[in-house]
Amino acid sequence: MKISNIKSIVTSLLVLSCMAISTSFTAFATDKAEINTVATLRDHTEITTQQEPNRIHKVINKDIKQGRNYPMQPPIIPHTIRSYEVNKNNNKCMSCHSRHRTEKSQAPMVSVTHYMDRDGNFLADVSPRRYFCNQCHVTQLDAEPLVENTFIDMNSLMKSKTANTDQH
Amino acid sequence: MTLNRREFIKANAIAAAAAVAGVSVPAMASNLITSSDITKLKWDKAPCRFCGTGCSVNVGVMDGKVVATHGDIKSPVNKGLNCVKGYFLSKIMYGKDRLTQPLLRMTNGKYDKEGQFSPISWDQAFDVMAEKAKDALKKGGPEALGMFGSGQWTVQEGYAAVKLMKAGFRTNNIDPNARHCMASAVGGFMRTFGIDEPMGCYDDLEAADAFVLWGSNMAEMHPILWTRLTDRRLSAPHVRVAVLSTFEHRSFDLADNGMIFTPQTDLAILNYIANYIIETDRVNKDFVTKHTNFRLGETDIGYGLRPEHPLEQKAKNNGETAGSSTEIDFDTYAKFVSTYTAEYTSKLSGVPEHKLKELAELYADPKVKVTSFWTMGFNQHTRGVWANNLVYNIHLLTGKISTPGNSPFSLTGQPSACGTAREVGTFSHRLPADLVVKNPKHRKIAEKIWGLPDGTVPPKPGYHAALQNRMLKDGKLNFYWVQCNNNMQAAANINEEAYPGYRNPKNFIVVSDPYPTVTAQSADLILPTAMWVEKEGVYGNAERRTQAWYQMVKSPEGAQSDLWQLVEFSKRFKIEDVWPEELIAKQPEVRGKTLFDVLYKDSSVGKYSLDEVPEDHLNDDARAFGFYIQKGLFEEYATFGRGHGHDLAPYDRYHQERGLRWPVVNGKETQWRFKEGTDPYVKKGSGWDFYGHKDGRARIFALPYEPAAESPDEEYDLWLSTGRVLEHWHSGSMTQRVPELYKAMPDALVYMHPDDAKARNMRRGDLVKLVSRRGEVQTRVETRGRNKPPIGLVYMPWFDASRLVNKVTLDATDPLSKQTDYKKCAIKIVKV
Amino acid sequence: MTKNNESTTDEYHVASFVAYPIFEQLAEVQEAITTVDGTEIHATSEEGKIVFTIEGHSYKDIGNKMDTIRHHQGVINLSPVYHQILDESTESESH
Repeated sequence: MKISNIKSIVTSLLVLSCMAISTSFTAFATDKAEINTVATLRDHTEITTQQEPNRIHKVINKDIKQGRNYPMQPPIIPHTIRSYEVNKNNNKCMSCHSRHRTEKSQAPMVSVTHYMDRDGNFLADVSPRRYFCNQCHVTQLDAEPLVENTFIDMNSLMKSKTANTDQH
Repeated sequence: MTLNRREFIKANAIAAAAAVAGVSVPAMASNLITSSDITKLKWDKAPCRFCGTGCSVNVGVMDGKVVATHGDIKSPVNKGLNCVKGYFLSKIMYGKDRLTQPLLRMTNGKYDKEGQFSPISWDQAFDVMAEKAKDALKKGGPEALGMFGSGQWTVQEGYAAVKLMKAGFRTNNIDPNARHCMASAVGGFMRTFGIDEPMGCYDDLEAADAFVLWGSNMAEMHPILWTRLTDRRLSAPHVRVAVLSTFEHRSFDLADNGMIFTPQTDLAILNYIANYIIETDRVNKDFVTKHTNFRLGETDIGYGLRPEHPLEQKAKNNGETAGSSTEIDFDTYAKFVSTYTAEYTSKLSGVPEHKLKELAELYADPKVKVTSFWTMGFNQHTRGVWANNLVYNIHLLTGKISTPGNSPFSLTGQPSACGTAREVGTFSHRLPADLVVKNPKHRKIAEKIWGLPDGTVPPKPGYHAALQNRMLKDGKLNFYWVQCNNNMQAAANINEEAYPGYRNPKNFIVVSDPYPTVTAQSADLILPTAMWVEKEGVYGNAERRTQAWYQMVKSPEGAQSDLWQLVEFSKRFKIEDVWPEELIAKQPEVRGKTLFDVLYKDSSVGKYSLDEVPEDHLNDDARAFGFYIQKGLFEEYATFGRGHGHDLAPYDRYHQERGLRWPVVNGKETQWRFKEGTDPYVKKGSGWDFYGHKDGRARIFALPYEPAAESPDEEYDLWLSTGRVLEHWHSGSMTQRVPELYKAMPDALVYMHPDDAKARNMRRGDLVKLVSRRGEVQTRVETRGRNKPPIGLVYMPWFDASRLVNKVTLDATDPLSKQTDYKKCAIKIVKV
Repeated sequence: MTKNNESTTDEYHVASFVAYPIFEQLAEVQEAITTVDGTEIHATSEEGKIVFTIEGHSYKDIGNKMDTIRHHQGVINLSPVYHQILDESTESESH
C-alpha cells in the first residue's frame, strides 16, 4: 500500500499542474488516501494508478440452494455451468430441470410460471420466451462483495417487528 | 410464527392473482394484509431503472423500504418478465456507502482543490457552487459554464436542466451522456427522415419473418426484447435470425446466419445489400418513386479529434460541410453502390460470400418481413450516422418500413435517452421536440413557450461531450456540473482528455450521484442524490413509450433528487447575475427576480397546485417547492411537441397506463409512424408520408466505406472493442453494489481468442496489460468466456471501477454526431 | 447433493391461479377445483374468471394438482400467476 502511494504521488505530480506543495511527502500521501476514501469500488486507489487485479474467481459449485430475497426472484444457479450450452439446437439446462427429467436428476423443476406464454395461456411445455435461462439465472463466483448491501427482505422485516411486539 | 408467514405468502398469492383477474382483493386476504402493521405491503408500478427496453415492474414497499419487485404482468413490453438485473432492482438503493452529505474538498475549513473530502451542509454546498458559477460567468461569460447530464435523468429533470442552462445561464454547454449512446442514431434519423425516433414499435417482434442484428448483442443488452425475438423464432419455424458482429457473443446462440466481420466494414456490407437488391431487380420501384429521393453525402470528414491531430489535418471535409449532401438520381445511386460486389465486400469484411448473399436475400425477398436491430455497434462508430443512413437505405429501397414486422429499429441503450435526452433536447445543439438552437424560428418558439424575451436562447451550439472534456483540460470550461452519469469511467481516453480537465485548478467540478463513483472521486464537490423510486418521474423507452411513476420511498436522509438540486440552485441567482441589461430591458418585469421565479415558479411550470398531488403518494420535491412541479414541467414541455408529431398525453394519464407511445392523438397512441392508417399525421391518400421532411420523402444516401480512425499496426496489433455485460448496468455503480450481481461477475476480464493468447505466451487467468498510445490498464485473460473474439480482436467490458478500460480507448468521434467510437482502437497486450 | 425427497420435504408451497371456464360450466369447474386437495377459491369475477390457490408440499405436488384442474373440459384456460415456497425446516433460514 505504501509503495503504491508513493507511486501515485509521482504520477499525480506529472498529471496535475500548478500545485503548491507546502506539506511533506508523508502528509501529502495521507491527503491522497483520504480523498480516495470515496473510491469504495476501487479499494481507495487513485484514478491515475491501478492495484494489481485479483485472480479470476471460481464459480461456486456446492449445489446448495440459496434463499430468495422475495418470491419472484429467479433462483441463483448453485453449480458450475461451464460448457452447458443453450442455443437454438439444444438446451442443456432442461436436460436436468425440465418437468419430466427431475425425477431422474433430482434437480429442482422449472417453476410453473415458465409454462405460461406471453398472453397468459398455459402451454404443455416450457414457453419459448423462457428459453435462454441465463438471462435471469446466474451463477455466483467466490468473490466477497466490495460494498455491503443493507437490503432487508420482507420476512426478516416482519420477523423483527414480531419480535418487538412478541411480548404479549 | 410459521402459521403467520404461511398466511402472509398465501395472501400475497391471492392478491397477485386477483390483480391479474381484475377482481378486487377478497376480504379475507385484504384483512390479512392490512389488519396487521406487520404485513402491510404496498405495490406500485415503475419502469425498470436500467436499459432502453423499458420494462415495467411492480415495486413492493414495506415500512418505507423496497422489499420486492417483480415483472409487471400488465406491461405489453415485458408481460411479467425481467432480466437478472431487473429482478434485483429492490437492492440497488441499499449499498452501504450511499452518500448522505455534500462533500467538499477542503483544507482548514476552506475549499481547496487538493483538499480532503469533508462533509458540509446543502446550504454551504450551494453557497460555494453559486460563488464558483458567478466567478466563472464574470471571467469567461456563459461559455465558461457547462453541464453533463443524462439519458437516465427523468424527463422533468432534463427539462429543468435545459431551461436552467439555455434560458437561465444562457449557455448551450449542456450535453447528455446519451451523446455516447444515441447521437449517431439521432443524426441518422434527422438526415433520412427529418424527425427523430423509430417509426416501428416492439410489436414488430411478433410480426417479423426475419431479424437481423447489426452489431448489437440483444441477448445481454436488451434481454427482454431478445426474449420476444426468441419466442417468435422458436414458435414460427420459418423465421430466420441473422447476427453480425466483430466477435461471437451470446446472441449468436440463436443465429441461423452468424457473421463475424472486420471492424468498420459494416458500412460495406450495407452497401453490398443495396447493390444486391438493385442488381437482382428487387427494388420496390413504386415505393421508391413515390416516397424517396436520393442524395450523395459528403465524404472524407475526419474523426472528430482535436484539430491539431494528423488525421484532422489530412481530412478534406471535416468542417462545417461534413454533413452536407447533393441531390442525385436513382441511376447515379445505383452506380455508386455497384462497386460493392460480393467479392469485394467479402474480401474487405472477411464474411464468406454465401453468408452475405443469404443475408441480402432477407432484405431483397419481397415476401420476407424483416426487422433490423442495432445499437452501439452502429452508433459508437466514427461513421455512425452513415451506418444509420445506410441501413435505412435497404429498408427504403424495398419499401419495408412502417408496417408490422418491416422495421429498421434503432434500439436505445438507456432508459430515457429517448424520453429525456432526445425528446427534451438536452444537447448542446438542441431544444425540445427536435428543435435546434441554430434555427431562429425554433429559438423564438422556445422563448414564447417560456415567456422570455427575444434573444434569450443562445444561437451557437455549445460544447458536446468529448469537447467538454477537452475544454475542461484547456481551462476554457470552468464551472461544470455532472449529474446522473459516471463520465470519468465512461469517457474515452481518460488519461489524456478526461482526468486532466477535472483536476485543472482553473475548474470547479460538481458531481451529483447516489454513490461515490470514479467521477465523484475526481470532483471537487459531491452532492448526495436520490434515485429511482425515491422521486416521482417519467422515462421514455426505445419504442417511444413514455412511462411515469410515483415516489414510493423516501431517499436516505440528506440525499436529494437531481430535480430538487437544479431547481433549488436556481434560487441563488438573481436575473441580474446572469442576464445582460439589454435582455432584461426587453422584459423589465423580471428585474429583481430569481431564476427560480422566472424559469419555474412564475412560468407555467408553477401552474399546478399541491392539491393535485395524490394524497396517498409521497412527493418530496413538489412539497419542497410548494407546487406540483413534476406535472408543471411535463405539461410545459409537452407544449413543444403537441400538434407537431411529438404529441404526449396529459400527465396524469401516464400514471394510469403502462405507458403510451407518442404521438398520442385524441387519446390514442401510435404504433407505426409515417404510415397511413396507423399514424394520424399522415396525409390522407398518401400511403406513406415522411412528414419530417417538407417534401414528405425519406432520403436514400450514397455513402462509402471509410476506414476506422486507428487500425491495428505492427506495434499495436490488436483491435480493442469495449461494451457491457448482462449482469451489470453501464459503469456498475448500482449493480456492483448488489451482492448477487457482483458475485455473478465481479471483475472485467479481457476476452481473447486462445490462439492469440498462446502466440503471446499467455494462458487463461494470466495478469496482462492492455496498452495503447494513450495509456494502459491491467486485467486478467479470459479465453473461454461467453464472448469468443476472432484472432486479432479482444473485448473488455467497462463496468469495473478498478479496471478502467477507457484509459486505453481513443476519443475519436463521428464528426457529424460527435459520438465516441468505443468499438475500435489499436492496442497491444503484454504480460505483466 | 440436493434434498428433494418428495414425501419428507419440509416445504410449504402455495401457488395462485386464474381459471377461465366456459361460462355455462362455471359451477362444475368451481366444484372440480374444490374437489382437489389443498385448493381454495377466493373470488370469481363477473365474466367467470376464478381466482384460486393450491397449497402443497413440493413442485410435483402443485404440478399434479394443477394438471387435474387443467384437464377439466370446462376449463378454457388456466393461468399460473404466483408460486412461492417456504422452507420450514428447523435449520436456519437462508438469506
